[in-house]
Amino acid sequence: MNEIVMEAKHVYKTYKIKGDKKGEMKYVEAAKDVSLQIRKGDIKLIFGPSGSGKSTILRCMSMLDFPDKGEIYLGDLCLTKPGVDLNKARAKIGFVFQHIYLFRHLTALGNVELALRQVLKLPKEEAKKRALAALEEVKVTECVNKYPSQMSGGQAQRVGIARAIARNPDIILLDEPTSALDPELTGEVIDTLRDLAKEGTTMLIVSHEMPFAKEVAEEMIFYDEGRIIETGPPSLFFNAPNTDRAKQFMTRIINRTTRE
Amino acid sequence: MFEFLSDPYTWTLIIEGLTLTVSITLFGVLLGLGIGTLLSIGDIYGGKTIKALIAVYVEFFRGSPLFVQLFIAVYAVPAIINIQIDHAVLAFLVFGLNSGGYQKGYMKGAIETIFNDQMDAGLSTGMSRAQTLRHVILPQAYRIVIPSWTNEFCSLTKSTSALAFVGLFDLTAAGIALRFSTFQILPVWIVIGIIYLIWITSFSKIMDIVYEKKRIPGIELNMQ
Repeated sequence: MNEIVMEAKHVYKTYKIKGDKKGEMKYVEAAKDVSLQIRKGDIKLIFGPSGSGKSTILRCMSMLDFPDKGEIYLGDLCLTKPGVDLNKARAKIGFVFQHIYLFRHLTALGNVELALRQVLKLPKEEAKKRALAALEEVKVTECVNKYPSQMSGGQAQRVGIARAIARNPDIILLDEPTSALDPELTGEVIDTLRDLAKEGTTMLIVSHEMPFAKEVAEEMIFYDEGRIIETGPPSLFFNAPNTDRAKQFMTRIINRTTRE
Repeated sequence: MFEFLSDPYTWTLIIEGLTLTVSITLFGVLLGLGIGTLLSIGDIYGGKTIKALIAVYVEFFRGSPLFVQLFIAVYAVPAIINIQIDHAVLAFLVFGLNSGGYQKGYMKGAIETIFNDQMDAGLSTGMSRAQTLRHVILPQAYRIVIPSWTNEFCSLTKSTSALAFVGLFDLTAAGIALRFSTFQILPVWIVIGIIYLIWITSFSKIMDIVYEKKRIPGIELNMQ
């Protein structure tokens, strides 16, 4: 078995949000004792109802949100220990956002180049070469000098992926990379992810793209109400999940997909 | 009525006054930009103490008349610290500090509109908070803030007339001198007013051009 790239151990995270009434606070338990492991070359897919905390677990793994309890490991390094250089750790973790979040004042090239220059401290020419290679890999060479608002959603998200892979991270975390896109644009992003999968990129993806999951994921993780409910290969979920909740959810998802 | 305009001495006075007005506004607004940026970052990131100190600072400079601040700086401060400092230098500092109090508000507003998602994006690439601020947040905030900054410049230029009260020779002081030498009260002030108007309008036009040039597709928020 390959070495473990990333691991979450008994992670808890509760959010405080404003309630319906004035002054009222609600607590959302987005992660309750969540543990998962990703080995080199793994592609794992987290799915489940919206609001169940899927994004939270991804944000906790990259330490964009700090877990209340539990540990996050990147290789041997425990990220939840105080005093760890999180910036250095995040440089080894690619992150793709649901709402893309490109740097709005920079072109596609600028978006990919920035971290190469500032984090990896590459010289200008070298950074440009690597940024262009990453943009070529996700097939958006036509956008090199375009600003985010001049791109389609699909192009922008592929630039987002290029920004995440340009540093050659150990793992890429993708938070619903296609769900903010128009249906006809999801295909191009899925194609890009498929290419990455073929190259053996280690990925943890939150997504409901079931045909894609079936094709590339080694393991699917059904997540609901802050917990991992069931884990298994796609064949398990597509044939006969063990839990009722997963069964119901799969039926809903598959019906929706066929209706479309 | 306007014969005094043909007297070269009139123009010597006006040019001398205008030079001080222009240089104090430009430096003041730039110093204010630096101070405003630091204060806005402090106000977003800082703990309770820092936030409270910033609030006191801002309320002092926004809440008291500029000429009172000038009087304190020019007459009280040198006496207290017992060092003679050039009045123009003190005035320049007061304008910078005062403008910083206002510009903190503009910068904070601009930063907050872009802050959360762009900070996450920056951190996710391995950049530190400081690097993300410098390379991602501030370049966007400055573009958004240009129109407010132009407003600040216009109002600061007119506030420089308070310089005459502390014995500095700005454009208004030039007007006062001309008034006494010509006794043409209204014509003198009309001429002085037109010179303010020309200077402020041309500078605003230049800033409008800068705003258009620097405008990034996708950042079209106008905070004016």
